[in-house]
Amino acid sequence: MSDIKEISPAQLMLFGIIGGLVGIYLTPIFPPYTSILGAIGAICAVIWGAEAVRRVAKYGLGTGVPSIGQIAMGMGIIAAMFGLAIVKVLTKDPRGIYAGPILALITASIIGFIIGWFAQNVIKMKIPVMIRCMTEIAASGALIIIGFSAAVAGNYDFVGSFIPLVFDNGVILAVFWVGAVAMLHPFNACLGPDEKQKRLLYLAGSTGAITMALMGIAAIMTLGKMGAVTLLVGIILWLIFYKKFWDEVYNDAASVLGTGLIPKTEA
Amino acid sequence: MVLLATTTIIDILLIGLSGTLICLAVHFIPVGGAPAAMAQATGIGTGTVELAAGSGLVGLITSSYMYAYEPSADVYLVMAAGAMGAAIMLASTMLAGGLIYAYGVAVPFASAQVKKDPITGERQDTYVSKGTQGQGIPTICFVSGVVGSALGGAGGGLIYFVLMGYYSPLITTHAAAVAGVFTMGVFYVNSVIPSYGVGGTIEGVHDPKFKRVVPKDVFTSAVVSMLCGIVAILIAGGMTA
Repeated sequence: MSDIKEISPAQLMLFGIIGGLVGIYLTPIFPPYTSILGAIGAICAVIWGAEAVRRVAKYGLGTGVPSIGQIAMGMGIIAAMFGLAIVKVLTKDPRGIYAGPILALITASIIGFIIGWFAQNVIKMKIPVMIRCMTEIAASGALIIIGFSAAVAGNYDFVGSFIPLVFDNGVILAVFWVGAVAMLHPFNACLGPDEKQKRLLYLAGSTGAITMALMGIAAIMTLGKMGAVTLLVGIILWLIFYKKFWDEVYNDAASVLGTGLIPKTEA
Repeated sequence: MVLLATTTIIDILLIGLSGTLICLAVHFIPVGGAPAAMAQATGIGTGTVELAAGSGLVGLITSSYMYAYEPSADVYLVMAAGAMGAAIMLASTMLAGGLIYAYGVAVPFASAQVKKDPITGERQDTYVSKGTQGQGIPTICFVSGVVGSALGGAGGGLIYFVLMGYYSPLITTHAAAVAGVFTMGVFYVNSVIPSYGVGGTIEGVHDPKFKRVVPKDVFTSAVVSMLCGIVAILIAGGMTA
């Protein structure tokens, strides 16, 4: 594996955090036209989260990869709700809302850190990257939830938009589940001795994009025509990423195909 | 929002308790994971999280349905509704699974962890196929599973009840959705933590692993759930539109 250059975890973390937050913050600028950016930000977070899942699940969790995607969304949704809602307690200033996504990210990191610490030191899982990865997974989970929800609601105001447009109609369940699958599926599908980061990242892009397409369908219900654009862009991104993943699979499979037939032993 | 008021602290402790109930529930449910899916281990052939969260969420639906039609309901009634829903869900899963193990895969139900079934007293070890950890869902596993899922459902009902008390005065008709989603988040966190503790498979209350892992898992879940409880109550402060 040493000859393959991998993107470092720190670079992907920056990509996920910056991409995710920029996407979320740009969402309410020209409503509803910019709602699509929330979903694109969430795709950045999906790619980051999938890579974090890869690093921790490589050690073998004993419970399968899906469990970590589910705990990520469990932590993410608690932190996202807290971060977005708490700003109204802290300040009466209407500009306080801008702090929401960052507060959610910080809360998720804290919850993830605590759970990772307990998993490592109390449950004794003996996975050296557990604490760091749990923190990253929770943080990306929160960004995924806020990003995709913002793509459906048009902005990230918790009481004003999220509750009536995302929570009441049950779209949040789709965000929760499809988001979890987007994050856990790439490693669950690619794991094995010949697993490569590049292939996984393209697959993560494609699962993120298909989630975006589904959010587009939900956004048709809440935002009208703009939802169709999200749906269309989601499908286009999915096709692009899936083709890239497809090519990677063929590339990696070539070395297996090229070994030739088993040599005939002389009788 | 006064976080240090006595009622608030009791509510945080109640959320901590319900998280602990969910965590405990996971240990009772006979989870076999992938080996059980190939009838090479005792239990239901799927993961801990799927079973615990699956039965718990059905419990959440039944308890919230009960609460929606009887808003003055007692907390015990809501918890009982949750326990009933979750237990029915898991019992039907185990019944269907058992039918497939018995008539589809054709394995005798036996546990490799105990010599005799503590409930029926039937000998187990002679029925365990060589090289496996037992097969199917023996009586003790079934009973343990029903008890466990009832605990999980009751835990889910309890969180929902506590949260509804905070959210419904503030956001009235939207409260059910927010409380339900938050409960779901706590559910997933608390069903994954013990599944890491048990390492993927556990047969139920009779498994030697049960005594070994329950204390540390319960401690972890209690701490994490109380943290979630504090978060949940602080969220209510931000709901003043």
